[in-house]
Amino acid sequence: MNKAFQSPDSAACAASAPASASRRNFLRGVPVVTAAAVMAPMPAIAATGKQQWAMLIDVRKCIGCQACTVSCIQENAVPEGSFRTVVSTYSVKLTDSAQPAGTYVLPRLCNHCDNPPCIPVCPVSATYKREDGIVAVDGDRCVGCAYCVQACPYDARFINHETNKADKCTFCAHRVDAGLLPACVETCVGGARIFGDINDPEGELARRLKEAQPQLKVLKPELETAPRVFYIGLDERFTGKVEGQGTLWKPRNLPHA
Amino acid sequence: MNPNIVETINVAREVAWLPWAVQYFFLIGLSYGAYLLSLPGIVFRRPGWAGISRLALLGALVCGLAAPVALLADLHQPGRFWHFYAYFTPTSWMSWGAFFIPVYLGGLLTYAWLAFRPDLARHAQSGGKLAGLAGLLAYGGHESRGALKAAALLAFVGAALVALYTGAEVAVVQARPLWNTPLLPLQFFITAFAGAVGLALLFNRFSVRDAAANRRMAGVLAATQVVALAVGALWLALGVSGISPVHAQALAEVGPSANWQLSAAWAVAATVLTLVLAWKWPGSGLLIGLLALHSAWMMRWSIFIGGQEVPKTGAGYYTYSLPLGPEGLMGIVGTAGLWVFLFILITTLLPLDRLAAGNTDKAAA
Repeated sequence: MNKAFQSPDSAACAASAPASASRRNFLRGVPVVTAAAVMAPMPAIAATGKQQWAMLIDVRKCIGCQACTVSCIQENAVPEGSFRTVVSTYSVKLTDSAQPAGTYVLPRLCNHCDNPPCIPVCPVSATYKREDGIVAVDGDRCVGCAYCVQACPYDARFINHETNKADKCTFCAHRVDAGLLPACVETCVGGARIFGDINDPEGELARRLKEAQPQLKVLKPELETAPRVFYIGLDERFTGKVEGQGTLWKPRNLPHA
Repeated sequence: MNPNIVETINVAREVAWLPWAVQYFFLIGLSYGAYLLSLPGIVFRRPGWAGISRLALLGALVCGLAAPVALLADLHQPGRFWHFYAYFTPTSWMSWGAFFIPVYLGGLLTYAWLAFRPDLARHAQSGGKLAGLAGLLAYGGHESRGALKAAALLAFVGAALVALYTGAEVAVVQARPLWNTPLLPLQFFITAFAGAVGLALLFNRFSVRDAAANRRMAGVLAATQVVALAVGALWLALGVSGISPVHAQALAEVGPSANWQLSAAWAVAATVLTLVLAWKWPGSGLLIGLLALHSAWMMRWSIFIGGQEVPKTGAGYYTYSLPLGPEGLMGIVGTAGLWVFLFILITTLLPLDRLAAGNTDKAAA
């Protein structure tokens, strides 16, 4: 069986230690951005010497529990029916196993692309890339035209019906600025999400990225958006629009705007 | 579709460009199309075109005035429209559009005023409804060809820019393969122009019922349908053959869907029917006019609403059901209501029969 198709038990067992280790390393790493940190062997990011936040998602460790989905909603007051992150879950027929089907899980969020298609289309320059690589929306400027929603190839953006502005994952910028981890990383049961500074060679993220390089993938690489969300264990069939049967859940009776 | 993969948990993204956007693209398309149809009779004084062009200019005016309201309503923060002018962003076609629309509408309004001044003066003299207002607007009622041509030129520049930006704005969205084809702006333009001919056919039918004008417009409409079919065939050929990867991708996304197959069959059937009727029975002005308008609207509905039903990452399709409120049906009905209001207002000052008759003795009678 493909390693990515794990049963919940095995994944959960492997999980908790790396999660706390990753947290410790992150917090330890924050104050020590030194001149030596400019070396980013993995993946090729402009060596600015500044912090460049990124995320590594180890699909093999995700158990599809949606704790990230829930904590993100709680942390960011995401309106009911909207999501900044979600774990897409698929049932995949298995041919090399006695078991008829396995579950494939794929956490999705804003990819904080280095070449973000959402930014040039914004007619009022409300969406922008922060110096630390986070793609953000200036809510005071956004006109809610939703052009960025159309331009995002990852379906990561939406119109927030409470604010009537473009909304998306911010890597929990408010937490990161305070030296905390994004809520989804903090709550990840399997330790599947690793967050950190790609320019810090001593950091957990850079180390893990380097180790995983041969199997490192991003979503829709052909669009050359240069995502800052990297995946280990990303099955080829799921890197783009998934060819499969959609059984989508759509929240009903929600107020629209 | 791969039957081995079933999506069990994911989220459906709602459409973010609402039916208001469909209305905007429909009306602004009709407006610039009708503006082009106004040129032969009014600016170039081609024989036999006077009535057609004057009716078309009325259509350009009514649609052009209603369109920006729909656009504004599609913003989720309409009160912030001034941000478009305060924070110009040259990388965004939408940002450019905010500047192109006033150029077009400024040119169009000036051109229409100069073209209709004598008619306004005549209406004031005849003492019809709102004759006082017509007299004020006529401002002497003089005809000034030089100014008219200059205004028509400004409107032409604006119309070309609007046609360009409305097409490019959608065609540059790589994230939606269905939109991201170089033929899309051309398809918007052809259907918009055909719709404008349809509108002028209806105006003719409900005013002077000029058979010669009807035949002339039916001929133009038939030509637009031939071009529309040719471009559609080219689109399909590029997709099926795989010569153009973007077209192939667009086709692959929607091809397997029964809904899309129905939409495509519907569009082709409507176009062929319009072509055959316009060619063989040019007298069927009312029917072909309605058909052309319907095709222009359906094309935009399918592209915008249907296009947003294609998930960018998830499997299958999102399902859209038209909400009844302002974000759905009321947006469509409201825009139509505004159109009717503007039509009544303008035709009170400039009665349809008088416009259709042109600057002739018939008009003075």
